[in-house]
Order: sequence, then structure tokens, then C-alpha cells
Amino acid sequence: MAQNITVSHSPHIYKRHSTQSVMLDVIIALVPAMVAAVIFFRTKAIILTLVCVASCCLTEWLCNLARKKPNSLGDLSAVITGLILAFSIPPTLPYWAAIIGSVFAIAIGKMVFGGLGANIFNPAMAGRCFLTACFGTMMTTWTVPATFDANMPLIGTVSEVPAAITQATPLALIKEVIKNKSTEQDENIAAIKGILKNMFIGSTGGCLGETSTLALLLGGGYLLIRKTISWIIPVAVLGSAFICAFIAFELDPHHYVAPWIHLAGGGLLICAFFIATDPVTAPLTKKGMWIFGAGVGALTMLIRLVGEYPEGVMFAVLLMNSVTPLIDRFTKLTPAGGKPNA
Amino acid sequence: MLSQHIGAICKPVVNKRDHIAAGQLIGNAEAFVSAPVHSPVNGTVKDIALQSHPVLGRAEAIIIESDEDNPPKQPCPDKFSTDFDPSRFLPEQIFDAVRKAGIVGMGGAGFPTSVKIKLNPESPINTIIINGCECEPFITCDYRIMLEWTVQILTGVSLIGRALNCGNIYIAVEDNKPDAVAAFEQAIRKMPSASSMKVVAVKTKYPQGGERQLIKSIINKDVPTGGIPPMINVLVANVATAAAIAEAVLLDNPLTHRVVTVSGGGIKNPGNFYAPIGTSASHLIELAGGLNDNAVKIILGGPMMGFSIADLSTPLTKTGGAITVLTDKDIVKRKETPCIRCGRCVEACPVNLNPTRIAHAVKHNLLDAAQEYYMSACIECGCCSYICPADIELSGFIKTGKILVARQKKLMPK
Repeated sequence: MAQNITVSHSPHIYKRHSTQSVMLDVIIALVPAMVAAVIFFRTKAIILTLVCVASCCLTEWLCNLARKKPNSLGDLSAVITGLILAFSIPPTLPYWAAIIGSVFAIAIGKMVFGGLGANIFNPAMAGRCFLTACFGTMMTTWTVPATFDANMPLIGTVSEVPAAITQATPLALIKEVIKNKSTEQDENIAAIKGILKNMFIGSTGGCLGETSTLALLLGGGYLLIRKTISWIIPVAVLGSAFICAFIAFELDPHHYVAPWIHLAGGGLLICAFFIATDPVTAPLTKKGMWIFGAGVGALTMLIRLVGEYPEGVMFAVLLMNSVTPLIDRFTKLTPAGGKPNA
Repeated sequence: MLSQHIGAICKPVVNKRDHIAAGQLIGNAEAFVSAPVHSPVNGTVKDIALQSHPVLGRAEAIIIESDEDNPPKQPCPDKFSTDFDPSRFLPEQIFDAVRKAGIVGMGGAGFPTSVKIKLNPESPINTIIINGCECEPFITCDYRIMLEWTVQILTGVSLIGRALNCGNIYIAVEDNKPDAVAAFEQAIRKMPSASSMKVVAVKTKYPQGGERQLIKSIINKDVPTGGIPPMINVLVANVATAAAIAEAVLLDNPLTHRVVTVSGGGIKNPGNFYAPIGTSASHLIELAGGLNDNAVKIILGGPMMGFSIADLSTPLTKTGGAITVLTDKDIVKRKETPCIRCGRCVEACPVNLNPTRIAHAVKHNLLDAAQEYYMSACIECGCCSYICPADIELSGFIKTGKILVARQKKLMPK
């Protein structure tokens, strides 16, 4: 027997997948949202996404070079960070700001912790948080989608400027209503309710990739079918947000909007399927995932209903990220046969 | 091989150049938890020396040169009939016969069967589960004997029931083998002494054949961590073990032969062989047509838990149900990448552990931290390594950690 024989410990067979293939699945799942973004925001969407992805990848490459570590672009996680960041910024954001956000997301959000798998916060959300802190106004300036429908009810102040039509997001308007507690805006609320259909398709104001409920559901469904993500986190996020919104709506339907609007708007869906499910920054155990998801959903709604910000997904995710190690500790698993006798 | 079981090693009772007969005792078991070894052939003792062992690396063995005109031992399922009455035998007689025949758990664990079937009045066994779930890919030796030796197995099972005075018997077969289920059901109908046995088709999944998993599937009870099934009054025995018991009690035959599956993409003519225990791996591979050119890994056992060997003179043991030869297509070159905490290993773990945490702790030599995550409860099934997308050898790290802890304990006794 002249063959070379390999010897190793068991198991000797493995499932054929890799971190790269898992990440590729996520990228595929983001394609519908990308298509929707291009339809609604045209070239601006393409350029912003490319800028974010390219600067994320470049930053990761430079960080590895500086740390004298092997190149890690192959795991595709930087691409996902770039995509998620691009999808959660307004289409009007200047390119230079997008680059700053991307650099922060990768360099400070991920690489300083030791790269993939070691970061505490979702890098894309860290980048977005930085942008919100630095360029507050830019981060809340919205354009009406290119497919702006003249028959669509106009909401709030629609100012026509030569370059673009700006329009607040449905949730930002709702916030205004809540803050002013004015009855004059009742018709606005009625109008918002009427655009639920637009929210489903995505032709409303908002961040690049968060407006189309349909596209996000398609992508999320793909991830669930492929079992790339566990169903627990999306269900927990959406479930707890729905319950909070439902209670508020039932208590004061005049003041708050229907829970469906909350679920469809303000990036809650992209959060439930793509951001909160980032495995690195979410708990490992099933019980932990339930707590984490419910926390994200409830905090988002708390911020939306009570706090200053109209949308709140980003802060909810970052807050829950910070308690993930604690959740993991509290939900430590016990072996099937119970704890061993010392 | 003088150590083919869990427990004390046997003492050779023959000398170099002795001529011995098939079935003759060659290694005597003195301790209670041990099992004697018999010669499978007529032959001459060539040497008593260290020999490659699938699990222990090297262990003491008696090397026998078989006579040229050796009559091969044939399987004897036709010597058992459905009108068998186990009450002909006293529990002590069954215990003595099993003990003398050197029977051990043939599913892989190798625990001396006599110890398991000794009646313990303080904690009687109230459930017997006969394990017909091979569950690892490629292995079919138990499947074949379930079909071909059905009555012999049931005879053995009824003897186990008689020895332990327990009538609550389940025979577990995976649901992808409906013909084995049917064979058992048909035989049970014809066999009065087997009338109380229940055949259960359990879900086909790995590691269904692990005794903890099987007990959980059938009576929904967990064996305490670090404990054994008798602690919850359950006994699990493999179908091949049951067949061996029948042969030992009724025909006075010691355990000298077993069925072994030689398969995998690297084998020319895969099949099951009734082989003398002690046959070298190379001889078994030859019987199966030899290796294909693309064979790269030879495993004693299945691909999930088996031991890959470098020395093809390694002999077949009582617990060796299979030789699996993998090809370059089966082997995946793996390069470890960072854990992304995806939790697939946690989900896959059949005993509810957190493999990534344990492996991480072992990697950084934090054995106490690994123990805090219940490293010792690991059943070494390999599911975590199989599923890990980051190609981390989780199971390898955990096994290493367990060995390190065992060494530490010996160095520093409490």
C-alpha cells in the first residue's frame, strides 16, 4: 500500500460550508433591498452603496496591514458591514460622510477589538451612531423616492428645492404629532395610515435600504429558509415591538399609530433580519436570543413612543449588544443530564 | 489484543510457541470489570508483544499465527429457534456464561457485558433498551445482523431480560430501516418468549445510537451527567452483543468473531464480513477488494467517532464494527478562521453544551473555565466540529481538554 494516509482525530467528515458561504448568504439576502433602493433612489443608491462597501473593505485591508495580520477580506464580513451601513443612511448623505462612517465602523467598530468575531458592537450600527452624533442634520434629511407618486398624499412639509424634494419619514412625522399633541395634525395621521401600502413596497422617505418591507421580507425569508439565521431573533424583535406598539395603540389610538406602521417603518425589519441577527454581537443560546431580540424590539418602541428619536433601532441594537456578554452568562447552558456532582 | 474493553487488562495465559485451539482462553480477566480473550483460530503463539491499538495507541497483544488448514467459523443464526424458553437458565448461569465468553458492549463502548447484566437487588433494572441504531454513516453491520440473525438476537435479548428479571424491553431501530423493524416484529409474533418486547422505530439522526440519546428518545429520561444508565434503572445493549450472548449461553461459544463493515469510497468492494477478532485491518481491506487509488484516510469505526490509523496491522477488536476508508473527495482541507459566534455548535450539541466556549477555554489553557462549561459532560460525538463554518476543531479541543484535566488530576491528587 503505497498511498499516503492521513491521520487525525475524529470527526473525519464535515459539513461543507464556511464563514464565507454564510456571509455570502447574507449578501444574497440583501439583494432585494438593494434592488428596491436602486428603484427608489436611483444612481444615488448605487454610488452610496459602492462607496460604503469599498471604504469598509479598504479600511479592513489597511487595518490588517497595520496589525501585520493576514488579509481577512475573504470572509466577506466587511462587505456586509458596508451594505448594512449604506442601507441605514439617508440617500442624501454626502459621500465623504459615508466614507467617514465606513472607516469608523470597521476601524473602531471591529478591528480595534481584534477583527471578526471579537467586536462587541455591530460595526455598521457603530458607524451609523458615529455619523448621527457628528452630522445630526444630514442624518435626518430625507428625499422622496424617485418614483414619487403625484397622487400619494403629501405629508408634512414638502419643500421643493431645485435638486431634490425632501420629505420626512412616516415615523418622523408621527413623532412630530406626538410631540405637539395637536389635533390639527389628525389628517396627517390619517394620511400616514393611508400610506401603509407605500411602506410595504418602499416608496416612502427613509434610509436607503429600509423603506421596502417587501424586499426585506424576501431577504429575511431567504435567510430563514437557508437556516443562515435562527428564527428566534427576528420573531423576538418583531413580536416584542408589535406588542409594545399594540398596547400603545389600544390605549390611545388617537395619539399613536397602528402597530403595523411601526413594524414596517424605520428600519425595524432590516434590524430584525440583518442587524440584530449578526451572530458576533448576539447571544449564543436560544434563551439568550429570546431575551436579546425582545430587548431590541422593546427598546426600539420605548425610544419611538417615549423618547426623542423617531426611529431608535440603532440605539436599541447597540444597547442590547453591550449586554450580550451578560445575557450569555445568565443563560449558561446546563448539560442534558443536569449538573454533574462535582 | 488483551485490552478490548473498559476495565482491567487481561493477563496472558499462554506462552510463546504454544499451540492453541480455536476458542481457547488466551487472556484471563481477573478483575470484576474486565473480560477474558479467546483465540479465534487454531494456531501457534508467535509472540506476546505491544501492538498498534485503535484507541490506546499501543497495547499488549498475543500474536497468533493461524494454522494453514483452519476451518473457518461460520455464523450460526439457524441454531436458534422461536420456541426458545429463557427460563431454562438461571440468572447466575447466564451471568457466568457471558462472563466466561468475554462478551463486551459491541456497539463501541466495550463495557464488559457481564457487569451490566449482574442482578443488583438494590437498584434493579426496569427498562432494557436494545440498540439497533448504528447512526454513523457507512456502518451497516448491525443492520445486516438484524435482518439475518433476528431470532438469535431476540434469544439473546430474552436472556438479558431473564438475567435482570425485567420484562420491559424496547428494541430501537432507526426509521430508515423499516425492513429491520418488520423482521423483528414478525419474529416476535412467532416467539412466545419475546412477546413482551416492543420494537420502536426512532428518528434517523446522528447520534441517535448514543445510549444517552437513545434513552432520551425512548423513555424521555436523561442519564445524570457523569453517570451511567443503571442510575436511572435502564440498561442499553447493542444488537450484536445480544447475539453474542445467545451464542455464549446456548452454544457455549466465546466471543471470537464479529461482523464488521468495510466500506467507504476508498474501498473497491465494500461489504460486511464475519471476521475473527484480531484480524488485521490490512487483511480486511484486502478481503473487500483493496483500496482505491484515491483512498486517503483509514478509520477504525465510522467517520464521526472512529479512529484513523496509520498502521494497517492494527487488529479488529470486539468493539470494532467498521473500517471506513475515505477518499480525497471526502476529506475537506480545513483552515481555522475566527469564531463568529453563530451558535451552530450550541444548536448541534446533543447534550446541550456550549462547544465554542469550552474549545476557546482549552485553546487558551484555561481548563477551569472549560470545566465551568461542563467539558466533562461531552460525549465526543463530533457534531460541533462537523457543523462549524469557521472550521474550528471544537471536538478536538474539547477532547484534548479532557485529557489534560485527567493528567492534571493524576499529578495533583486531592
